[in-house]
Amino acid sequence: MSAVLPGDPAAAPTLPDVLPPVRRRGAVMRFVVRHPTIVAGGALIGLMIFIAICAPYLHTVDPTALAPARRTRAPSPQYWFGTDMLGRDIYSRVLYGSRVSLIVGFSVALLASVIGMLIGLVSGFVRWTDALIMRIMDGLMAIPGILLAIALMALTRGSVQNVIIAITVPQVPQVARLVRGLVLSLREQPFVEAATASGSRFWKIAFRHILPNTLAPLTVQATYICASAMITEAILSFIGAGTPPIIPSWGNIMAEGRALWQVKPYIVFFPAIFLSVTVLAVNLLGDGLRDALDPRAAGRL
Amino acid sequence: MLAYILRRVLQTIPVMAFVALFVFSLLYIAPGDPAAIIAGDQATPADIARIHAQLGLDRPFLVRFADWAWRVLHGDLGVSIFTNLPVSHMIAQRIEPTLSLMILTMILSIVIAVPMGVLAAWKQGTLIDRAVMLNAVIGFSVPVFVIGYVLAYIFALQLEWLPVQGFTSISQGFWPFLRTLILPAVTLGGIYIALIARITRATMLEVLSQDYVRTARAKGLGQNSVLFLHALKNAAVPIATVIGLGVALLIGGAVVTETVFAIPGLGRLTVDAILRRDYPVIQGVVLLFSFAFVLVNLLVDLTYTFFDPRIRY
Amino acid sequence: MKRRDFLLTAASGAMSGLAAPNLARAADNRVLRFIPQANLANLDPIWGTQYVVRNASLLIWDTLYGVDASLTPKSQMCEGHEMAEDGKTWTFRLRDGLKFHDGTPVLSRDVVASLNRWMARDPNGQTIKHTLDSLDAVDDRTFRFRLSKPFTKMLFALGKANAPVAFIMPERLARTDPFAQISEYVGSGPMVFKKDEWVPGSNAVFEKFAGYQPRAEAGEWMAGGKRMMLDRIEWKIIPDAATASAALQNGEVDWWETPIPDVIPLLKRNGSISVDIADPLGNVGSFRMNHMYKPFSDVRARRAVQIVLSQSDYMQAVVGNDPALWKELPSFFTPGTPSYSAAGGEVLSGPRKIDAAKKLLAEAGYDGEKIVLLVATDVSITKGEGDITAELLKQLGMNVDYVATDWGTVGQRRAKKDPPEKGGWNIFHTWHAGADCINPAPYTALRTNGDQAWFGWPKDDHIEALIADWYNAPDDASGNRIIAEIDRASMDFVTYIPTGFFLAYQGWRRNVSGVVKAPFPVFWGVQKS
Repeated sequence: MSAVLPGDPAAAPTLPDVLPPVRRRGAVMRFVVRHPTIVAGGALIGLMIFIAICAPYLHTVDPTALAPARRTRAPSPQYWFGTDMLGRDIYSRVLYGSRVSLIVGFSVALLASVIGMLIGLVSGFVRWTDALIMRIMDGLMAIPGILLAIALMALTRGSVQNVIIAITVPQVPQVARLVRGLVLSLREQPFVEAATASGSRFWKIAFRHILPNTLAPLTVQATYICASAMITEAILSFIGAGTPPIIPSWGNIMAEGRALWQVKPYIVFFPAIFLSVTVLAVNLLGDGLRDALDPRAAGRL
Repeated sequence: MLAYILRRVLQTIPVMAFVALFVFSLLYIAPGDPAAIIAGDQATPADIARIHAQLGLDRPFLVRFADWAWRVLHGDLGVSIFTNLPVSHMIAQRIEPTLSLMILTMILSIVIAVPMGVLAAWKQGTLIDRAVMLNAVIGFSVPVFVIGYVLAYIFALQLEWLPVQGFTSISQGFWPFLRTLILPAVTLGGIYIALIARITRATMLEVLSQDYVRTARAKGLGQNSVLFLHALKNAAVPIATVIGLGVALLIGGAVVTETVFAIPGLGRLTVDAILRRDYPVIQGVVLLFSFAFVLVNLLVDLTYTFFDPRIRY
Repeated sequence: MKRRDFLLTAASGAMSGLAAPNLARAADNRVLRFIPQANLANLDPIWGTQYVVRNASLLIWDTLYGVDASLTPKSQMCEGHEMAEDGKTWTFRLRDGLKFHDGTPVLSRDVVASLNRWMARDPNGQTIKHTLDSLDAVDDRTFRFRLSKPFTKMLFALGKANAPVAFIMPERLARTDPFAQISEYVGSGPMVFKKDEWVPGSNAVFEKFAGYQPRAEAGEWMAGGKRMMLDRIEWKIIPDAATASAALQNGEVDWWETPIPDVIPLLKRNGSISVDIADPLGNVGSFRMNHMYKPFSDVRARRAVQIVLSQSDYMQAVVGNDPALWKELPSFFTPGTPSYSAAGGEVLSGPRKIDAAKKLLAEAGYDGEKIVLLVATDVSITKGEGDITAELLKQLGMNVDYVATDWGTVGQRRAKKDPPEKGGWNIFHTWHAGADCINPAPYTALRTNGDQAWFGWPKDDHIEALIADWYNAPDDASGNRIIAEIDRASMDFVTYIPTGFFLAYQGWRRNVSGVVKAPFPVFWGVQKS
């Protein structure tokens, strides 16, 4: 069987039972060879996290310090990535910006997964709630995510927290549908049927039998949400509804500099490179996880 | 089955009602006043208050909603606060650019992405597979507007092959129409190609391991025949599903693409309307989007039952 | 021409040859493509007073009088006027041959209805309305104002370029409630608005009005003969500045009203593009404080900001590196205009006094309360100003609550008189067109009539009395003396803080000629070859 679920780029074609058995021999090297995408993606993400945490110690200055007299300087030994329209140091802004972008990406992935999973579990398992919940999810999904996020931003003021909420809300229905679909299929599996027949309570079945089986595809889905959240943050900034300009994020550095990209391309390109590499890393990790968690898809043909 | 379809069609009504109410209340509690924008920067607070009242924005929430809903039920989406044009007219003006952009993007993406995905699945684990997938992932990773600027710089400013902006209606001839859409479609296609290539690869991998494919191979059928006649045909349903559902993703990308290439489409209309608080326009467009989406969703749910007979409704 | 360029041109010629039918190309030099400063989202110049609406309306509707480049009102639709009783009775006569786009003649009753609608919305118009005994059509071409008090600035009021402009519409349109929008766009101006081709957010099209009879004099701003050398003007709304810049470089548009300063060097390098200052009257940046609530209800707190604020920081954040584009403005009035005064402006120049400012703040009783700073991040000028202010207040030791939002929200929230912590505000930024700051008549932001005043609601009876004196001033010289006093008093009271004077460029293709500097794009006299 294989249920391809809406809006799920990973589209885990099969349901893994459990994590693949770990083999001990030559563990590290073997892992690297078998899962190069996980290793490459993981390493890049690790690097970005390192940069985000250590930003103050990586030869940076205050990323919000203005100096209009020194605006739009080209990259030089003094300003490694140049300066922006208000004379702020782009190198420092990009490094500090990694904090916002990573926080947005990870928080959205986590929040959307947890909320979506709970909704999906209830909807898939408690039949009478299904119709209602799914109609509400349909309704939310029916509003294009980016437009919903823009509307939510118009509703509130620009802050990192509001950006996270605005991006999370449209993502929840996707996760909920994924989990519900999994639950619907799992519910018919003999081991769940057996548990139900033996009179186990809902939450017990949900947590003991169904949750573990949804974790793998959910993890994969979460990586894509994380990647798309970082891109969405950039798009919101592009439209002028993103993180406030006093907090640097890759999205708003690019958005601020984009009108100048023909004359001062570095303002856009440095954050763009960081964003692309990070999103790439998260996607690679997601692809790798999918292959690794899905024993049937991996290493065939 | 027929009863199920009928029930689902009826169920779209509460979904639409939910969307309408949700959007309406969202707009109601949102700060921002169109009257302040209309009046301009020099206007006095008293003038703004008068315009606000004249637009009927000071009426209670329920009165406004009931009034709006009643008119929608009679097929009247209302009149834009700013342009004084009927919302249905404004939407009609902008359907062609958005629809053209989406259809062209879809054709382009499918033509590129499906063979890419098949190739990657066939050569799974090889360098070709990795190259194809990396390409797809990169399409996913670079912000749309950066791709748009770079493409416009190369093909419009340096090579002068294509225009940098605008839209020409197909009624002006097919080539002028296509010329203005090529760059936006390629720009927007980036995400979509990535999405379709990945799902194609994944489903092809799945299908290729099925018994009937093994049988086909055992029968001695050629590689192409196995790949495209048997495997791809069986992988088509989920691929089609994702293509259909990716429309939501396209709308998101279209907002940015339409801005970068100055295309007068629905995405841009909605963003402008949100930033200006042109309530009737926002409500009209969102209602349209949700109507389209609910229908697509229904079709997807129906394909589930074809696809996996164990899921019953 | 380099060989490569030649090949490219040849190739693109071949491609555009495929694209454009020959017929269309023949008329190309009669069609002008123009990128306006903003989207034309509505088109009623009395109801909505954004500059972009005014600019489009100048093509469609005509005015009785019109200012020239020296801001002197000249006859436009009027043939002449007669002032009696020292300015209490004004009689006007329309010139011959005026026609609306629907073919009907312009009559006095159209004028009376239009002026009534305009008076309800315009500050000058309201001044007239307060003393108005009657406004009547004497015959088809004559109309008369009777006032209870002399009003000497009548011609300026009828001919000014500041929105709302006293445009003349057909009576049936002018009867519309001044607070509701008209739905037909029929005027007697040199161009006809093509409503069927209007796609708000993308396109607005104007076509030459065959029945327009320009005056015999040469055209200058709103005065003189508005001779159209173009058959068609297409406004292309391009929301993205990078795309607009590429479209001008590519020749897809002919004229860009507001190129961003940072791409100017690029446009200047392009041999087929001309660049010049757009509006010689420029703009005045504004740091606006709420006078109703602490700390800025105390003049000492306002002065604290005034003596540390660095106009050069603001101006560079707004217009960039080009020193030709900005200067410090030790005044509330537009530099280079007849009434300009720098009286009292020294507080804005010279070394900035951070310690003195901190002391003033302490004296004003500021104790770390949150300062709500509204910043419209979707408008680059206000965003630049907001970022500078956030940094400045931080240096002053103030606790800044930076509210990043869009212009729509700032527009609404600044009108709220609630305390800052309950949805009100302390500071917002905007800018005023230099044309609005030439004297107190169009200058809403200068008023200090408390509750009735512009946002921030400054209250100072002395300044209000001076403004009233200015209206009654018998001649220009005494008027200008009063303006100097107003400037000094406003600096002292800190009605708001000017953040500097800045100009903007406009850019056009070299094959377009006749583009002039003005506070609005002047299309008459513009030619394309």
